[in-house]
Amino acid sequence: MTRIPTTRLVMQREITERLQSRLFWVMTLLTALGVIAIIVIPALVRKSVQPTTVGLVGSSAQALGHALRRSAAESRVKIRTVDVASPAVARSEVRDGTLHVALTVGAHTAAAEVKDTLSPTLTALLQATVDEAHLRQTLAEAGVPRSTVRTALTPVPFATVALEPLPPNRAARSVAALAAGVLLYISLGIYGAAVANGVAQEKTSRTAEVLLAAVRPRQLLIGKVAGIGIVGLGQLAIAIVGGLIANAVVHRAEISSTVWLLLPMMLVWFLLGFALYAFACAAGGATVARQEEVQFVILPITLPLVAGFLLTYAAIASPSAWWLRVLSFVPPFTPILMPVRIALGHVSAWEIALAVLIMLASIYGVARLAARIYSGAIVRGGARLSLRAALRLQHE
Amino acid sequence: MLEIVDLVHRFSARVAVDGLSAEVGAGEIVGLVGRNGAGKTTTMRAVMGILRPSGGEVRWEGHVVGPDDWLRFGYMPEERGLYPQMPILDQISYFGRLHGLDPLAATSAGREWLGRLGLEGREEDRVVALSHGNQQRVQLAVALVHGPELLVLDEPFSGLDPTAVDALSDTLRVEAGRGTAVLFSSHQLELVERLCDRVIILEEGRMLASGTLPDLRAHLPRLLRVNVNGPSGWSATLIGASVVREDADGVLLRLDPSADPQVILQAALAAGPVEHFGFEDVGLADVYRELSSR
Repeated sequence: MTRIPTTRLVMQREITERLQSRLFWVMTLLTALGVIAIIVIPALVRKSVQPTTVGLVGSSAQALGHALRRSAAESRVKIRTVDVASPAVARSEVRDGTLHVALTVGAHTAAAEVKDTLSPTLTALLQATVDEAHLRQTLAEAGVPRSTVRTALTPVPFATVALEPLPPNRAARSVAALAAGVLLYISLGIYGAAVANGVAQEKTSRTAEVLLAAVRPRQLLIGKVAGIGIVGLGQLAIAIVGGLIANAVVHRAEISSTVWLLLPMMLVWFLLGFALYAFACAAGGATVARQEEVQFVILPITLPLVAGFLLTYAAIASPSAWWLRVLSFVPPFTPILMPVRIALGHVSAWEIALAVLIMLASIYGVARLAARIYSGAIVRGGARLSLRAALRLQHE
Repeated sequence: MLEIVDLVHRFSARVAVDGLSAEVGAGEIVGLVGRNGAGKTTTMRAVMGILRPSGGEVRWEGHVVGPDDWLRFGYMPEERGLYPQMPILDQISYFGRLHGLDPLAATSAGREWLGRLGLEGREEDRVVALSHGNQQRVQLAVALVHGPELLVLDEPFSGLDPTAVDALSDTLRVEAGRGTAVLFSSHQLELVERLCDRVIILEEGRMLASGTLPDLRAHLPRLLRVNVNGPSGWSATLIGASVVREDADGVLLRLDPSADPQVILQAALAAGPVEHFGFEDVGLADVYRELSSR
């Protein structure tokens, strides 16, 4: 028999074992629900933003109603104005939440009463409206013709020109980036650990010894990594389909092309990241003496994964930071940071190609090293092996 | 035929096997005996390719063993190893397939072995649900499912009840009758004596002795028991024979190869009426004790 069918047999057994476990299906469901939540919740929150209710107290303030609503509309701030007869009523309505702001305008002063804080945008809006009314009145009293006043108060066309503009759809991109970061973090973590546990189980149950009478260590290692990888890929694909459907339902009109493009690409990043972490975890799993030691052994291996996940938030906050760009080429971080950066829209094609090349080279190196450690350690009894001891044991 | 040639294996500082050479022919049952740490398990793992020896080689049918040969060997390690959660028929047929059987053949061979080993009807049971003895049976089925040409069994009898010992002995005889070469290790010397065509005695990684039981006996001094109804002390001056012990059943003498039993008989008759004069049976246990004390 040639090598490939043996590896495939090992792979098939891994797949069958996992598909038969209830835990796998529960995890698949939870992952899909998690992705759907990431996409649906921000949309629900955005829809539920209520306009700010501004109470205009007294006739001076009420005279500003029209100007205030017009300025708000220009600044895309949602407000609603309500005329209030007395300051006492206004105050009690602010306290009970009926009003968000109570605006009082005197001859030379104005006040906005709020329950606790007022957003800077709304503060500026109210201030500008009051200032404009004050200016208009002062100029009129000084005898300046109305046409001159109107000309003076017409805003000078003002343009903000971004030299390095952010990509459009920033909100959708941030959601996509977060979804990518979370999904890859969870999938790589779960399936890396699954490889380590599977290897440790074969070692501690001594099944490896029986297997290795028929199978070479390399075949066993590759078959196991491939089998678990395929299961992980399938689970991720199910979650992605769930996400696509959720996205189509929630964002109807604006199914972002970014999201469409990003999701299939995530499968590629998963495969690359999984290969890197799985071989390292397999080597770790082969060094343990007892199943309980697996968590301890894979902790340092999966630490970069946690870091990569946390950096997702930094990337969303400042998508063009140079240090994030650099880190996204460092192999342990690449499988999470690169797709996150792609989702945020700051990556050129050559960067993606370079990152993939670096990943492939690292996978090759890690897999070779892992195969050496694995071959030596998998049939070795006794206490947990140090990395150096395991390397010395290699026998293939 | 399996040939082990000048096999050496070192674990860092310790030498586990130190220049061992041995053979197991087709249809032959060979027992490997020796105390713990004598190198039995290391030798078997080297034969199975589970560890690569530091020196020497293992040959099968005249060539150095390789992956294709290992597929035709069956192995039962000292510490049993099965997937705890996998149904036993699936498990046996999986190992059959790893050894090159096609899916149908693997399943039918698995069923057949479960039947022969008294586990029919339990095909869907998981290993964890089986008793220790039944787990041993499954492990044996895993070693046999692909009809191996060489069986390597490390302590296959440990932990078995007498009925299971007999069943396993019968199975090994049947397999050897088919032409399978069988190499197994055991601490139960009377079992080895009963079952094996040849015995290899290992001591600190070296072969102390090897051969059929009569061969091994021939190299040992014979033990002669003589009971004389008369004063003791007649045996003290014998040439070529020394007293091992003296008790109510007479005196037990260790004879040098040069000693003449007739001379001893005459000396005994001179001391009084001889009530018993005969050689003691020398079992493998005695051979082992004698050889390893030298």
